[in-house]
Amino acid sequence: MIKIKWLLILMFSGYSLFSQDQFKSESFHLEIKKKAYEYKNNTFFYSATLYFIEKNWDSTLVHSMKQLNVSKKNRDLADYSHYYRGYSFDQKKLLKEAQKEFDLISPEFDFYFLVKKCLGEIALEQGQFKKAISYFEELTKLSDKHYFYLKKRNVLHNLGLCHLHLNQFKEAEPYLVKSVRLQEQQKDTLETIWAYGDIANLYYEQYKDDLAIPYFEKAYQLSKRTKDYKSKQNTALNMAIVEENRKDFKKALVYRKEYEKWKDSLNDQNKIWEVAQLEKQFAVKEKQKEVSLLQTENKAKIVERNGLFYSALILLFLLGTTIYFYKEKIKTNKIIVAQKEGLDDLNATKDKLFSIVSHDLRSSVNALKTSNTKLLDNLEAKNLEVLDGLLHNNSAIVNGAYNLLDNLLHWALLQTKQSYFEITSLRLFFIVEQVIYNYKPLMLDKNIAFESTVLKSDLVFADQESLKIILRNLLDNAIKFSEVNGSIKIYTQQTDEAYCDLVIEDSGIGMNETTRAGLLKESELLSKKENENSIGTGLGLQLCKSMIQKNKGKFSIESELGKGTKMIVSLLKKA
Amino acid sequence: MDKVNVLIIEDTPSESDALIKVLQTNNYNVVGVATSFKEALELFYHNAVDITIIDIFLNGNPDGISFAETISVSPNPSKPFVFLTSSTDRQIFERAKVTQPFSYLMKPFNELEILYALEMAVEKFYAQPNVFLSEEEDTIISAEYLFIKKGKSLKKVLITDIIYIEVEEKYCNIITEKEKFVILISLTKILKLLDDAMFCRTHRNYIVNTEKIIEIIPADNLIILSGNYKATLSDTYKDILKKIRTLK
Repeated sequence: MIKIKWLLILMFSGYSLFSQDQFKSESFHLEIKKKAYEYKNNTFFYSATLYFIEKNWDSTLVHSMKQLNVSKKNRDLADYSHYYRGYSFDQKKLLKEAQKEFDLISPEFDFYFLVKKCLGEIALEQGQFKKAISYFEELTKLSDKHYFYLKKRNVLHNLGLCHLHLNQFKEAEPYLVKSVRLQEQQKDTLETIWAYGDIANLYYEQYKDDLAIPYFEKAYQLSKRTKDYKSKQNTALNMAIVEENRKDFKKALVYRKEYEKWKDSLNDQNKIWEVAQLEKQFAVKEKQKEVSLLQTENKAKIVERNGLFYSALILLFLLGTTIYFYKEKIKTNKIIVAQKEGLDDLNATKDKLFSIVSHDLRSSVNALKTSNTKLLDNLEAKNLEVLDGLLHNNSAIVNGAYNLLDNLLHWALLQTKQSYFEITSLRLFFIVEQVIYNYKPLMLDKNIAFESTVLKSDLVFADQESLKIILRNLLDNAIKFSEVNGSIKIYTQQTDEAYCDLVIEDSGIGMNETTRAGLLKESELLSKKENENSIGTGLGLQLCKSMIQKNKGKFSIESELGKGTKMIVSLLKKA
Repeated sequence: MDKVNVLIIEDTPSESDALIKVLQTNNYNVVGVATSFKEALELFYHNAVDITIIDIFLNGNPDGISFAETISVSPNPSKPFVFLTSSTDRQIFERAKVTQPFSYLMKPFNELEILYALEMAVEKFYAQPNVFLSEEEDTIISAEYLFIKKGKSLKKVLITDIIYIEVEEKYCNIITEKEKFVILISLTKILKLLDDAMFCRTHRNYIVNTEKIIEIIPADNLIILSGNYKATLSDTYKDILKKIRTLK
């Protein structure tokens, strides 16, 4: 029976340890606010104070620590900071830490009595009742102005409790009674219930049941007015024990049941709370899962995005390369098309050339055929004079055909670049001599007066064979377009520093400006046959132009219709 | 003066006949006509050939080039030669060109072209350019002969036949046992090209073949040469006495 009573007391003592009351603490808060404004520049202290008022203990600890680290010189601020820290530790039930912080506070601190109160409470909670008593007794001696910041009844109550714990019932009684009286004045139901409970316990412990039971009943009655299950449950339990001890089991049972009811309610509440907690945990887990899911999703997305980015990059690169190659292809195609056009042109020209050349050759051979028939006829008739004329005619025809074939060969060689070509220093005199040698009989035939004034000292740089071909063609033309008894002159002239001009001048039929321009035109390969007798394919002159160009020379024509033509070949003097 | 000996390597008789006709008309001596590589080598080494005319294609093969290569490689009796060809085929020319010095004659050719090609070949071979083509000179000097342009053709004179040379401005009187003639050549060039072991300058205007000296009379500044020719020995050139082998 006694054991049960003790249990009850212990239970009560835990709860009946009162802390700072709301109103009282507010007045303290006003004080520290003032202090904080005073030290407004000191941000750490200011924020520590604010957090203290907001009861944000962790932040208070952090900021006060910062404040202590920054400045330890200001004793006043240090005391406040230590107080904040001690109080915060106390609230977080880190009692030893709290005690340490409180011990660091100097006795000059404005609210040193609060420190003592806290230290007392800590001692009480740690079961060091005697030490607690010494702290609390000091507090009872304080003046009324100090009680503005703390509750006297709490101090008294705590003192009573200490004595109660030490089984010093006599000392405990006055404190508790005083406390109850003060409590009743304050009309704080909950605290009054506790106070009643404590005092009831005091008497009960001393077996002064008559004194105890009214307090128990008072407490029980009061508890009915509150919603606090804990006090309802405790008062009911106390009543049950009391009734049990009075052997009134019926009543005891009623109280027990009530106690059970409140206990259940409390348990329910706890269970609900636990369920809520579980649900919360579950929700948190769910949330966590969701978060991790989202994270994985995000990762996947990032991977996907990177993949997309790189593939886009690769595609872009491929596109670029494709465009590049496409452009290259277009370029090549353009070149190919241009080349094809060029080739087509050349092919057309070649075809035309073929037809004209073969036409010319056919006429030549045909003329030879008819001439030969005549020759045979005259041979039979032994008409020797006619024979001579016919033979000359034949040789002229053959000469013409030979020249044409020669030009054709050189043209082909030039086009295919198969011909040997070497530019060397040449003496014009000898070249002219050698070429003229073949044409002397022809000129004699036409009774053409020929004159060459080319000097042995006239040096040019050219390819020998091509120069001979040029000269042959120009001379051939000069003779062809000269009338009987005409004249041909070959001479050199200096009109340019770098060039030596070789002029082949005839007194022939000449040409008009259109023909002249046509002959000098780049692409004009074949002139149309205007005069069957004297105008050729134009291949000769074209060959001349090409070869002069290859020899890095220049070509020009001066002509007057009916008066004659000057063909001017300008050749380089120096390589 | 002697005729220049020409060897013709040509497998087409009509071509070689035309060549022979032109060469003989112009006082060249044709020593033979070879129609194959083997025959050509035989004729070349058994005759005193001065110039060879080589048709590049013999029986369809470019044996002409092989011949030129052969005589160019064997150093002893290497002589001037002219390639004869009917086409300016670049590849053939590039191959023929390797046999330096390179001169050629294109078919069909006329008389002037043949003569020009021969002269060019001699000029190029003895590396004395612009002699026959210019108006200033007309003689090329080889180790054995003087090649002198006479009219359209070339003549040669054996150098060892020369007794002395008398210089007159830009002319040189060449005196041999049989004849006298004038050539166009500068004194510096003739001095440079003649073998100075054989020829010595005895006077500003005299170059003497030391092997033809019969007697030297220093007191009279006179040199008696074979054929009873006389040359002057001036004080400036009396050093030749030391060079000439004399009985003591």
